[in-house]
Amino acid sequence: MSAAPLLALRRIAKSFAGVRALRGVDFELHAGEVHALLGENGAGKSTLIKVITGAHQPDTGEITVAGQPVSELTPASAQALGIACIYQQPALFPDLTVAENIALRLESLGALGRVRWSARRTRAAELLARVGATISPDAEVRSLSMPEQQLVEIACALGAGARIVIMDEPTASLTQKEQHLLFSVVRDLRKNGVGVIYISHRLEEIFALADRVTVLRDGESVGTHPVADMSEGALIRYMVGREVAQIYPPAESAPGEVALALRAVGCASSGVRDISLEVRAGEIFGLAGLVGAGRTELARVLFGLTPADTGEVLLRGQPVALRSPQDAIAHGIAYVPEDRRRHGVVLDLPIAHNMTMAIHRRLFPTTWLRFGAERSLALDYIRDLAVKCSSPDAPGGSLSGGNQQKVSLARWLATKPRVLILDEPTQGVDVGAKSEIHKIIRGLAKDGLAVLLISSDLPEVLGMSDRLGVMRGGTLTAIFPAGTDAHTVMAAALGQAEKGAA
Amino acid sequence: MSHVTPAPGNSRPWKARLLSHEMLLLYVLLAEWLFFYFAGTTTNRRGVVVGFGTWDRQFDILRHSCEIGLLALALTPVIITAGIDLSVGSLLGLSAILFGQLWHDAGLPIPLAIAFTLVLGALAGGLNALLITTLRLPPLIVTLGTYSLFRGLAEAITRGSVTYTDFPESFLFFGQERWLGLPTQAWIFFAVAAAVWLLMHRTTFGRSFRAIGLAPEGARYAGLPVGRRVALVYVLAGLIAALAAIIYTARLGQAKADAGTGYELFAITAVVLGGTSIFGGTGSVHGTLLGVAAIAVLKNGLACLPVVMRMNAAEEMSGLLTGALLLLALTAGVLPKMLSKLRPRRHAPAV
Amino acid sequence: MSRYFRELSVVGALAALLLGLAIFAPAFFSPQPLLSLVTREAPTLVVACGMALVIISRQIDISVGSQFSVCSVCAGLLAARGWPLALVLPASITMGALLGAINGALVAGLRLPSIVVTLATMVTLRQGLNLVRQGEFVNMPDAIQWFGLPQATGQLVLVALSVALLIALALAMRHLAAGRFVYAVGTDAEASRLAGIRPQLVTFLVFVFIGALTGLAAMMNIVQSPQVQPLSGAGLELKVIAAVVVGGVAISGGRGNLWGAFAGLLLLACVSPALTHLHIEAYWEKAIQGAIILLAVVADGLRSRKAGN
Repeated sequence: MSAAPLLALRRIAKSFAGVRALRGVDFELHAGEVHALLGENGAGKSTLIKVITGAHQPDTGEITVAGQPVSELTPASAQALGIACIYQQPALFPDLTVAENIALRLESLGALGRVRWSARRTRAAELLARVGATISPDAEVRSLSMPEQQLVEIACALGAGARIVIMDEPTASLTQKEQHLLFSVVRDLRKNGVGVIYISHRLEEIFALADRVTVLRDGESVGTHPVADMSEGALIRYMVGREVAQIYPPAESAPGEVALALRAVGCASSGVRDISLEVRAGEIFGLAGLVGAGRTELARVLFGLTPADTGEVLLRGQPVALRSPQDAIAHGIAYVPEDRRRHGVVLDLPIAHNMTMAIHRRLFPTTWLRFGAERSLALDYIRDLAVKCSSPDAPGGSLSGGNQQKVSLARWLATKPRVLILDEPTQGVDVGAKSEIHKIIRGLAKDGLAVLLISSDLPEVLGMSDRLGVMRGGTLTAIFPAGTDAHTVMAAALGQAEKGAA
Repeated sequence: MSHVTPAPGNSRPWKARLLSHEMLLLYVLLAEWLFFYFAGTTTNRRGVVVGFGTWDRQFDILRHSCEIGLLALALTPVIITAGIDLSVGSLLGLSAILFGQLWHDAGLPIPLAIAFTLVLGALAGGLNALLITTLRLPPLIVTLGTYSLFRGLAEAITRGSVTYTDFPESFLFFGQERWLGLPTQAWIFFAVAAAVWLLMHRTTFGRSFRAIGLAPEGARYAGLPVGRRVALVYVLAGLIAALAAIIYTARLGQAKADAGTGYELFAITAVVLGGTSIFGGTGSVHGTLLGVAAIAVLKNGLACLPVVMRMNAAEEMSGLLTGALLLLALTAGVLPKMLSKLRPRRHAPAV
Repeated sequence: MSRYFRELSVVGALAALLLGLAIFAPAFFSPQPLLSLVTREAPTLVVACGMALVIISRQIDISVGSQFSVCSVCAGLLAARGWPLALVLPASITMGALLGAINGALVAGLRLPSIVVTLATMVTLRQGLNLVRQGEFVNMPDAIQWFGLPQATGQLVLVALSVALLIALALAMRHLAAGRFVYAVGTDAEASRLAGIRPQLVTFLVFVFIGALTGLAAMMNIVQSPQVQPLSGAGLELKVIAAVVVGGVAISGGRGNLWGAFAGLLLLACVSPALTHLHIEAYWEKAIQGAIILLAVVADGLRSRKAGN
C-alpha cells in the first residue's frame, strides 16, 4: 500500500506511577483495513486504545493520522480527527431515548437551538438500519440489552463519519446472530474505506474478519502479520512466548483433605453456571481465564455477595448456605477482592482499622474497642507481611498499591479462614511486592489453607498453582495439573483446547 | 487533614493536633466567649453585674442548648454514615404532643409516659430506617416526607390548638430547676453526649458507621451488616429526638404542636460546624458538642450586646450568623481540596 | 404508554379525587371559590416549574421560600415608593436571579451539596429579612394590586400567565437544546461533559433560573393582596418539592417532566379544600401531604426494585 497509513504509532511508551504499561509500540492502520490487536490481559491493549482516543498522553513516541503528525491528542481532537471507539460497556445516557443519545453525540446545538425530534428520529432510524439493528429510536437506553447499546454506539460512530473505528471486544456479550450482524457491519465499514482496529480474544473472529494482526506482549508490539500467514497455534505462541522471568516459590507440602467442594454451582443473575471443583487444604487452586470469563463472579457467589441459586457448596464435607458475606466469614471463607481501592481497603481509615474490619465480633466481643489488642494485631501483620508504613494509624490511602494489597490480605488472614479466595492479588503491584505476595501465598498454603487463586497474569497462575482450572463463558472448561505449559492454558482460555494441543 | 480520631498511643505530631478542626473550633469558641464576656457584660444602675458574664446567664445558655444539642448528637451518626435526617425537629414536636397526650389524656404516670414516648420516637425513626434501608430510597427525600408527616400528625392530633400544660412540679424539675449546681437537663444532655461519644469512638458501631459513610460497598465486602447499621442510626435519631421532646416540654412547661420547628437546621449546622463531613465518614462527637456550644454562645451573647438589645433583634441576628457560619464552614471544608487540585499533583510514594 | 405511567397515575389519582369531590362535595366546583383556589396556587406553579428543573438536574433548592419572601418584600417596598409595575416586575425577577446565582455559585463552583448550601441560604435570607424588617408588613399602592385591573380580570391574568409559563417551559424542556442539556446533566454529569456539555454551567444557570422564577412568583403573589407579608414564602419549598416529587420527577435526576409536576401540584393543592368540603379537619393537611410524598417515593422505590430484578 503506497498511501500514507490512516494511523501510525511509533515507539509509543507510557508509564503510570513508575509502572511501565507500554514500552514501545509500533502500529499502523490503513484505510479499508480491519487490523486485529491481540494480547493477554494486561499486555497493554486498553492503555494503547486510550492513547489513540486521546484519553492518555503518551510519555514518548509519535502519532500520525493520515500522514499528519499529531502532537497533543485530546478526546475532543481525536473525535475531530475521526477516531471513534466502541467500548464493551457503552457510555450512554440511560434515562434518554436512543434517538436523543445519538443526537447528543452528533449535534452541536447552541442552548437555544431547536430540537428537531422527527429529524433526530429519522436520522437515528437510518443509522440503526445501517448497523442492521431493529431498535426503536424512541426506546429508552436503560431498557436495551448490552449488545443493543453497543449497536447504538456503533451507529453514533457511523453518524460522526469516523475514519478510524476501534472496537474493544465488541462480541463479548453478543449472541451468534448478533455477531454475524456485527461482522457484516464491520465489513461494510471496511468497504467504505474506514480503518477498523478490532480487539478480540476470539481467534476464530480474527481469522474470519481481520486482514492483519498485531500482537502485544508486556507493553510491546511483538510483530504485525497478515492474518492469512498465521495459524492459531502461531498466534498463541506469539502471545505467551516469553522467557520465564520469575522464580515462583515451590510447593512444600502434600495437600490434605478436601476443604472446599462445589457441586454444579450456578448463579443466574451473575452468569455463573454448573461449576464443580474441589480445593484441598494446603493446595493452591489457580483459576485462569480471560477477563469476563466469570471468575470474579464465581468468587462473589462463594462469598455470599450474589448467592448461588443452583448446586451446593460443601466445606469440609458439610453442605453450607452462603447467603451473605457474614455467612461466608462465619464458615471460614475469606475473599480478597479484585478492586482494592473500592472494596479491599477503605482508603481514609487507618491501617489498623482496615485490618480488623472483618473481625469486629472476635476481637471486640463486647463491641467495646480494645485499642491495645487491635494495635498489637496490626503490628503483627505489618511485621509478618512486611507492610511498609509509618504507623498502624496511617490512612490506607497513604500506602502504595502493593502495601494496600497486604493490608487487604491481613484483614482476611485475621479472620483465620480455612478457604482463602484471592482475586488478582498482584494487579497493579510492582515487581518486588509481587514476589513477596507470592511467598506469602505459598506460606499460607503450607500452613494448611485452601487457596483459590484468580489471576489473569498467566505466568503467575501457572507458577503458583498446584492445580489449575480454566474458566470460559461463566463455567469451568478444563482442569490442568501443575506444570502445564502456557500454550495449552491460553488455548483453553481462548476456547481452542482441542486445536491448541497440536 | 486528619481523618482519624486520635487513639491511645497515637503518635500524631503535636502541630497537627493543635491545628485539627476541633481545636480550631475550640479557639473560635474561646474567642467568641471572651468577646461577649467583655462586650456583653454591664453593670446596671443599682451596681449589679448583668449580661453575659454572670453565672445565671451561663447556666441559661446551657439550659437552652440542650434540645438542639441532643438533636445534633442524634444527627452526628446519621451524617457520618453519609445520610441525613430532616425529620428530627418535626419528630420533637410530635413526641412532645404524644407525651402530653399519654400523660394528660391517657392518664399515665409521668415515668410511664416518658417510656412510651421514647419507644414511639424510636418507632418513628424506624419508619425512616425501613424506607431507607429496605427500599434503598434516598434519605433526603424520605426524611423530607416524614418531616411533613410528623409535624402534620402533631397538628392533626392537637387540631392546631390544644396545648398540654399543668405538668407536675416533679416533672418540671427536669427542665426548670438545678441539680448539683447545674440545670437538671444538662445532666441528661451530658449523659447522652457521653453515651453517643462512647458509641462513636469506643465501640465497633462507630467503626462501622465510618466505614459505611466512606465506602458502603467496601463495608459490605468486609462483612459488615450495612443495612442493620444504617437502620440503627435512624432509630437512634428518633429515640434521641423523643428525649429532646421530653426536656423541651419540661423546660417550657407545655407541649405544643410547633415544638422544635426549624431545630433540624440548627442541629445540622452544629454538626457540620463541628467538623463532620456532609459526605460522610469523618467527624466526631466532641466536634459536634463544640459546634453546639459555638452556636449557643453566639445566640445568647448577641442578646447581651447593648447594640443588639436596642435593636431587639437577637433572634434574627443569631439566625443570620448561624446560616453564614454554616456556609463558611462548608466552604472552608472544600477550599483546601480545590486549592490542592490547582497545584501540580505529587506522585504516590514508591515502595 | 409505560414511559408516562408515572405521570398518568398521578393524573388518575387527581381525577379520582375530583370525582369523589363531584359526588360528595359538588360545592367544590362552584366557579368563584375554584378561581380563587387556582389563583392562589398560580405563583406556586411558577416556582414548582423551576423546582422541577432543579430536581431534573439532580439538585435541590430549599431556599426558594426565603427567596420568595425577600423578593416579595423588596418588590413591595419599591412599589410603595411609587415605582411603576413595569420596573418593579423586572426588579423582583432580577433580585431572585441574583439570589439563585449565590446558590448556583456555591453548588456548581465549589461543588458543595445543594441540600446543605440551600439550607444555609434559606436561614440566612430568612433571618436577614427578619432582622431588617422586624416582621413589618408593607402597604401596597392600589395601582399594583391585580396589576391595576379589576379583580376578576386580574385573577384570570395570573392564572393565564402561570399556565402559559408552564406550557412554554414544558415545550422548551422538550424542544430546546437547553432543556435536553438539563436532562443530560441530571442523568449523568460525566457523560454529558464528554458529549460537550458543561455540567457546572448548566447547574449554575438552573439555580439562577429558579431564582428568577421565584422572583416572578413573588410578584404574582403580592399583587393579590393590599399588604405584603414578610413570611409569605414560609413552607413554600416543601410544597413545591412535594408537588414535583409526587408528579414523578425522580429525586435522583434525569427523569420526569413538568406536566407531571403540574399534576402533582394540583393533587396536593386540592387536598386542603377537599378536606374542608369533605368535612375532615384541615389540621390533617400537612400530615396527608407528607403521606402523599412518602407514598410517591415508596412507589418509585418498589418500581425500581422490580425493574432491577
